[in-house]
This record gives sequence, C-alpha cells and structure tokens, in this order.
Amino acid sequence: MKAIGWLKLLTPFDRKLLLVVTILVALSFLLLLRQTSGARVVVSADDKIIFVAPLDHDQLVELPGPLGITVLQIKDGAAQVISSPCVRKVCIGMGEARHSGDLLACVPNQLVIRIEGDCEEDGEYDFISR
Amino acid sequence: MTSSAVDPQQLEQVRRRVMLALFVALAVALHTVEVLLPNPIPWFRIGLANILALTALFSYGIQALWIVSISRILIGSMLLGSLFSPGFLLSLGGGLAANILMSIGYKLWQPKIGPVGVSILGALGHVTGQLLIAWLVVIRHPSIWMLLPFFLLFALISGIVNGLAADYLLGSLYKHPVFSGLKKIKTDKSQPSV
Repeated sequence: MKAIGWLKLLTPFDRKLLLVVTILVALSFLLLLRQTSGARVVVSADDKIIFVAPLDHDQLVELPGPLGITVLQIKDGAAQVISSPCVRKVCIGMGEARHSGDLLACVPNQLVIRIEGDCEEDGEYDFISR
Repeated sequence: MTSSAVDPQQLEQVRRRVMLALFVALAVALHTVEVLLPNPIPWFRIGLANILALTALFSYGIQALWIVSISRILIGSMLLGSLFSPGFLLSLGGGLAANILMSIGYKLWQPKIGPVGVSILGALGHVTGQLLIAWLVVIRHPSIWMLLPFFLLFALISGIVNGLAADYLLGSLYKHPVFSGLKKIKTDKSQPSV
C-alpha cells in the first residue's frame, strides 16, 4: 500500500496521463522487440560499416574491397560468400552464416561479414559455449 | 517598514524577479551536483534541476519556465566548462524539447494538470530531444533509436520523482507570505484566459 501512496498526491488528470504514458513506453518496448527479432547482415571494411541488410530478404551483394569485388549471397536466411578475388578463397570455404554472432571474413580483401540481432530465438548457446 | 509604502504591483514584480533569480541559482547548483554524482548509466540523469523549472512554471507561468531552464543550461554548462561542446548541445536539445512539451501541456490542461503530469511530459521530451540531437550531431546511425524505449522508461521514473519533489516544494512555498499575493494574481489571470 505504501508503494502506491504517492499516487494520491497526483491530480486525477495526472493519473490518467501517467497511465497513457506508461502504455506508450510499454508499446515502444514491444516495437523494439519486434524490430530486433529480424537478424541483419552487417558488412564492415576497415572498421567502417559499408553494408547492412535484413537476413530474410534474398539478394546478391557486390562488396568492394582493395582486391576487387566480393560477391555475397543472402538466401533463405543465410549469408554466404560465393565469389571473391582473393587467392586462397578461405571466405568461400567458410560456408554459411545464419545465426546471430556468426562471422565470415575475407582477410585479403579486408571484409568482415557478421550476423547481428536474432539472439532471442536461437539462444541455446551463449557466446562462450558456442 | 519600507515595503508598506510600495505599490503592490511593483512589489509583486520585484518578488518575482528575486524568486526567479533564486530558482535559477538553485537549479544551477542542482545541475552541478548531479554531474558530480556517480552515474551507473551513461547519459542518464535524474534532471533534478527541472524541479526548479517546474516550480517556476507553477508559480509564475510559462515565461518563467523558459527563463529558469535556459539560464540554468547556459550557466550550468559554463560552470562545468562544457559550453558549446557536444554534451552541451545534448543538454540544450533536451532542454528545448522538454520546455516545448511542458509549455504545451501546461497551456492545454492548465487547471487540471499537476506538477507530476508536467514533469513526466518534460522528462519524456528531454530524452527524445537528446536522442534526436545525438542522432543528428554525434552518431548518425538509426540503431541509436533502439535506445529510446530504455531512455523513456528511465525518464518516466525520474519524471515522477521530480514531479513529486516539485509538488512538495510548491506546497511548502505557498505557505510562505512572499507567495501570498501570487495566488490571487494567478487565479485572477487563469479564469478569463480559460
């Protein structure tokens, strides 16, 4: 009872306003949750983010690096490097990245591709036990 | 005493000036103390100085609110040495947005709305304005808006706390004889305008 005693100090209008504002804040949290549930592909080159896209939208992306164009394929909720100008093609051999925190990198072409968000849905492993 | 011979309207004006100067001084002091407090969440402040802005608003009207909060931001930043730095811009943007919302809220619902209601509006306006400035000036990345719900939640809590404090302060100030002429003027003015 003591915890809500301060409500008596408010005018009736203030109480209504407080209710409305509380609902709005709760709605903003819901909006945030909905937005983060879709994972994104984030590509950075030389510590700068050069490309961001949602993972559920299929497309082919050409990423410029110092060696040339690396082609990234986003398909069926996974990202994969399908062609690269580098010598050893390690980035193509890394396969698919589909979960939050997954990483693809092409060191010769200075590109880092990582998946962000989506942590609520596949959270069976934490960062250490991954 | 000398005051017995003074025109009451002039006396009220002098009282208003003196009280506003006191409010600004107190607000600057609170602003400075708050920066010195250990801060668990970066950027988040309780906004204690807003208590004085609210008190000015409810005792002397919207103009007084703007005088107290803008002077507080300018003088406070000057004292802390952050005038015209990015932090000052954040502070100013937040203050302007808060003042606009508080003025609108007070103007629209003046007899019904209390200090807590205005304080909540101000706190929400403050974080929104700050984030807008942060987005425009500091980090031009849309993901900064993902912070907004958390900011709004903290602002809601601090807004309630500040509003209650202002309510308490106003309650005890009105008992003082200095504010005795004020209530009369306030009620006289509010009736024709509403």
